[in-house]
Order: sequence, then C-alpha cells, then structure tokens
Amino acid sequence: MDERLERYAELVVRVGANVQPGQELFLFPAVEQHDLARALTRQAYRAGASYVHVLYADAHARRAMIERGPDEALSYSPDWLKALIESCSGNALIATTTDPEPDLLADLEGERVGRAVQHEIWAMRLQQLSDNVVNWCGIGAPSESWARQAYGEPDVDRLWNEVAFCMRLDEANPTAAWEEHLARLEARTARLNALRADAIRYRGPGTDLTVGLLPYAAWMSGASETTAGIRYVANMPTEEVFTSPDAQRTEGTIRQTLPLPLSGQVVRGLELTFEQGRVVRVEAETGGDLVRSHFASIENADRLGEIALVTGESRVGRTGTIFYDPLYDENASCHMAYGAALPFLLEGEPDEGFNTANIHVDFMVGGPELEVDAVLADGTEVPLIRNEEWQLA
Amino acid sequence: MNNGKRLERYAELAVRVGANVQPGQEVFVQPMVEHAELGRALVRQAYEAGASYVHVIYRDEHVRHAMIGRGPDSALTYSPAWEKALIEAESGNASIGTMGRPEPQLLADLDGERVGRAIKLEIAEIVQRQHRENTVNWCGIGAPNDGWARQIFGEPDVERLWDKVAFCMRLDEPDPVAAWQEHLARLEARAGTLTALRPDALHYRGPGTDLTVGLLATARWGSARFRTSGGIDYVANMPTEEIFTTPDSRRAEGTIRSSLPLSLNGQIIRGLEFTFEDGRIVGVEAEQGAELVRSQLATSENADRLGELALVTKESRVGQSGTLFFDTLFDENATCHIAYGMGLPYAFDGEPDEGSNVCNIHIDFMVGGPELEVDAVMADGSEAPLIRDEEWQLPAA
Repeated sequence: MDERLERYAELVVRVGANVQPGQELFLFPAVEQHDLARALTRQAYRAGASYVHVLYADAHARRAMIERGPDEALSYSPDWLKALIESCSGNALIATTTDPEPDLLADLEGERVGRAVQHEIWAMRLQQLSDNVVNWCGIGAPSESWARQAYGEPDVDRLWNEVAFCMRLDEANPTAAWEEHLARLEARTARLNALRADAIRYRGPGTDLTVGLLPYAAWMSGASETTAGIRYVANMPTEEVFTSPDAQRTEGTIRQTLPLPLSGQVVRGLELTFEQGRVVRVEAETGGDLVRSHFASIENADRLGEIALVTGESRVGRTGTIFYDPLYDENASCHMAYGAALPFLLEGEPDEGFNTANIHVDFMVGGPELEVDAVLADGTEVPLIRNEEWQLA
Repeated sequence: MNNGKRLERYAELAVRVGANVQPGQEVFVQPMVEHAELGRALVRQAYEAGASYVHVIYRDEHVRHAMIGRGPDSALTYSPAWEKALIEAESGNASIGTMGRPEPQLLADLDGERVGRAIKLEIAEIVQRQHRENTVNWCGIGAPNDGWARQIFGEPDVERLWDKVAFCMRLDEPDPVAAWQEHLARLEARAGTLTALRPDALHYRGPGTDLTVGLLATARWGSARFRTSGGIDYVANMPTEEIFTTPDSRRAEGTIRSSLPLSLNGQIIRGLEFTFEDGRIVGVEAEQGAELVRSQLATSENADRLGELALVTKESRVGQSGTLFFDTLFDENATCHIAYGMGLPYAFDGEPDEGSNVCNIHIDFMVGGPELEVDAVMADGSEAPLIRDEEWQLPAA
C-alpha cells in the first residue's frame, strides 16, 4: 500500500470532509483516479463510515455522448443520479477535481460542449449547497497525466511533493498545521466583514473592474459547518477569502491571468467586459466559443457569482507552478467566477443581486500587478492587495 | 487488424448481436474500472446504434474489498436507494456487463463467511424480477486485461488473450454477425430435439460423479438467445456454446464433482464436490474455497438447490481454445456445467414452474470433461445417451 496516498486520503477524510461515524460517504472520482478512490474508501471505513459509494466519471463516455448522442442526451438528468444526489444530504462527499485529459473535448463543437450540462442535477447540488446539509471536500488527484499538464513531463514524484506541500503534509502534524492556517484565514475574513465595503475595485494590465457587494452576503474562508454542526473544509488546499458579489453591479473589464481547463478544453487569455452586471463582450485566445455557449445557453451565466482574494503567502502560489487545475490555481491567485452565487454565504434574504445559474466557473485574475481595493459607501478606497500582499491590518 | 479497430468491432458485435440495442433505448454499461477501454468502445457503439443515452457505471473490486474487510456488518447486504433506481431503470432498456477480473484472487485474504454474505439483497430481488419478467435486453462479454491474462497464462500476455477471445467470439470470421446467426441456429436445433424427447431426468456419470437430476415437464431446453417481453431478441452471454434448462429443484440425488476451477467472488474454488439428497446439498467438499461456498449456501435461501443444467460439447470454440479462462462466462462454455441457486425463468414459456428454484444467487460450476457421460432418463426408466466423449449423441428429430 502506498503510504503517501494513505496519509493524503486520511487527511482529506478526517479534516476535509470530516466523515463522522455512521455517515455514508459519496466519492466522485474520474475512472483514472481509482488508486486515490480506493485509499479514500479504506480511510473512510477506518473513520467509521457506514457505507462508501464510489461513482466514477468517464470523460471518454461524455465525449461519445456529445459527439454521437442525440440532442436530448446533452442535458439529460437520469432519475437514479437524482436519487444518488438526494442521498448525499446528511452524508459526506469527496470529489476530485483534476481532469485526467483536459484537452479531450477540444476538437468537439464548442456549442454542444457548452450545452452539455445536467441542469436538474446542478439545481439539486446547488440546493444542497444552499441548505448546507453535506460535509464535503474537493481535492486534487496526483497522476502522470496531471504531472504532464503541470510540468510537460510525467514527473509524478515532483507533483506529489508539491501537492504534499500545498496540503501541509510536510508538517510534523498536518492536522494542527491546518487548524493554524484556517484560523489565519478566519482573522482576515473577520476584518473584511467588519469593513462593510460597498464594492471591490480591480486594476491591472487589461483590467479595470468594479464589482458591487451585497450587504447580506458575508466573506468566508476555509472551514464551514453543516446545519447539523459538522465542520468541514470544502476545498483542500484552500488559501482564499471569498464572497458572492452583487450580480447587478459589475462594470468594466477583467483579464484572465492563468489558463483554465474547462469541459475538456483550455480557456486562455479570457477577457470579459461587463455592463450593468452582465457580460457584453467575450474575448479569448482559446476556448472563447465554449464560454460564449455557456452565456448563451445557461440563464444568468453571464453574471458574476463569486469573487475571491488570495495573497502571496499561499502555499500554492509559492510553488510557482501552474497546475492546470482550478482547485489549485484558484488558490494561487485572486479569482472570480461567473454563474451561481454561493448560497451558504447568505446572512439574510437574497434579492436579484444574488445570482442563480446552473453553472459556476472560476477563472484566475491575480498576479503581481493586480491591485485590489475596497470601495466604501462614501467612495473612499481602502487598499486590500498590493504586490500580492495583504494590506488590511 | 489494428487494436483500436478490433476493440470497436468487438464492441459493435456485443451491441448489435448481444444486447441488440434498439434505436431510442437507453443503455447501461457496467464495466470494472480496469475495463475502461472496452467500456468506452461500448459507449461509442451504443450511440452509433441509436441509443438515446448511455449510462456507464464502473464497478471496483478494491472498493468492495474495503467494504467487506473494514465496513460494518450492515454494509454487506445494503442496497442503496440510488442503485435500486438504477437497476429499475434498466427495465425496457439494454444492459451490457463486462467480465474478466483483473485480480481474480483479490478477496482471498478476507473472511470467506463475510464474502459469502456480501449480497445486495434488495437489488438481487429486483434483478430476479427483471429476469422473470424478461424486460431487459442484456449481454455479458469478456474484457481482456493484463491481470486476467496473468491468471490464465502466468504472464500479462494480453495480446494472446485477445486472440483467444476473438476466436471464441467468432471475430476471425469474415462476417461475424452471420457466423453468430448460424451458430445460434445450430444450438437451437439441438435444444429443440432434446425438448421434444421429453426426458424425466438427466443422469451424470464420471470420476467422482453419479448424479440424477429431475427435469420439469414445463421447462424447455434453449440457447442463450432470448426475447424480451417487448419482443427484442438478444444473446445474454457472448461467447455461448450451451443449451440449458431449469431442472426440478426438488429432485437431485447423488454426487457431482467439479472438473474445472471456479473464479468466484475474488477467490478461486478448486475440487468442489457436492452431495445431494432430496434436491438439497447435504455435503460440500473442496480443495480450496469450501468456506465461501458453504457461506453462500448458509446465507442465501435455497442456494443449496439446483437452478440450471447446461450441456456443452467439444465443438465449443471455448473448449477448442484449450484455455482455462478462470472466468465463468468463458469456462462454462467450454464444457458441461450446472448452477446452484436461482432457476432461470428463460426456460419457461409462461410463468416458471413451482419446481423452479427461487434464490438471490446463481452460481455456475463446471462438471464436463472427456470422461463425463450424460444420459437422458425417460419416464419409463430407459436411458438415452446425450453425451459421450464430449460429443453429442442425440440424432436430430
């Protein structure tokens, strides 16, 4: 048995999803990630799980569906899958993010790829997020293919070392290191919430964007708690402080700074221009059609659902690696998402400013030249980030 | 033929002749994770055949190992709600399963009693009902992989395994579909002759074997080509070389010795020997794996009664391959076999006879070989030879 893999799985099961004795665990790996899925299964039973469900995804089957299936297959949500999602309520869930073949769908028609969304399943998952009834965790799955994406060669050992660093598995007591780290992010979150800013302003090369904030959506970080009181860390690694903005008040242009693997294609050089909250122009070096298809076929995908702040202390950022996995890359750098807002941030009744969409796509916008300010109600600006360093004492 | 093309041709045969996927049907593909390559080819070919949607649900024996080894008792027989919904959704649709364990002895280090108890009981009931109502056009096929090849040849020579599988599947024929139609017609003619004979029982004689099994007047002999209640013809196993019936589960007397090892639930059973009295197994002996079999018989009601008799002769391509596959789908088609557990509803034109066994498992084991003699016992006690020296004896009617 691979010790490295077991330690990783144990951390994710105990600190990430925090699987409770008697809970069922649902695993959603890619079929290529079966080694990790098996380790997670073993560790979950050790932690007292009553049952572990493993539902493998296969991007090749998805490719065949998009390429050869009828139109109605694209958005079909099978009943059994709905039953499976329903069963996650009250239980634990671990999903893997890394796409074993990020370019697999690149030669397919972008419009069909963009339409291939299981809307009912998405709506159910978003409802669960909103109800906060699942202790869940998203993680990466080291593999030769991921290493090849990150380094151009299948150097799995190097990848494992960087993943272990980002996951604090190099610490003598990883669990204690995580507690300390989560407390640090929590302090930053508290400071931002106390500031009660009206908007966030981004300035940088190709970027000048102002995003309104909502009085009833809090800033959050790291650890969360289900309604039943189970603490969990939804993303590992996590380095961000994030909120859902006012989707009606976005103005200006934002330029993507790191590539984004998405639905089997890679989006590069994305530039979105907003007017009155909506995207009015999409430019990209690659993957532009896919993003446009999202905006055209999914209601409110053309509005923002999340903004997140990350600084240079980030362990992910310190590796200097572009991982080609949003879970990692979004924690290297400031990012934002188009599509659904995050319902678990709500501290009051949402209005039209709180975006609802059957998709949520994060893209990275941070870098040394990005300046982020908080704009207060009276118009004064408070620096939040300069040169990738946190400014708010 | 290059390997990619062979894979697609193989998948196409399973989709078109095996499950016989109809335009507009949904297809449920259930490979092991190590069978992903074939699983994907099946998905492609199913869409080519007009499937409206293809569901792929991977099975993982290591996950099962962890569940049996580390999970609570309640996990062993748990049937998750979503899995019940999944199985129910197969009704009216097509299903393709792939066989060929990459690690045939993966579960051998576990407590055999727990392995035997690990059956999703409610799901097994749904599956039995589907078999009874015959609402799914399904097919089981083999998926060559390194581990399976290693078990067979002592080395992971997957190319050699592919050659054997292609031979058994008649993919070496210029027109495999036509070759299959001809082959199935031959088996059905043999089955028709035996059904017309109306024997009262079968008598098996051989080394360690002297067993008489009663037959049911309402049960036919047939090939593995079935027709769903919706009228779709399909071939449930590929390869298939057998004619089979469901015997009278109340009438089995004597002893039968298994002639080939049996790969069962991640263990390998060798030298299995059963003794029957009044239709029930009263003695289980084995050189290896007896505990697992005993646990199955103790856990599943009526597992100790017979559910199938199948006759195979040496024209069998599986038998001709001279290979022990360590996989029931193949090995049961090399030679005569018998199953304990569930009687097959496919042997009946209407409702199954009350003598047809009701059980949530169905385990085939191989009993054939050059020395096995099989006779039909007529109502008047006279015996008609069916098989001698692995050759068919009964002249066509």
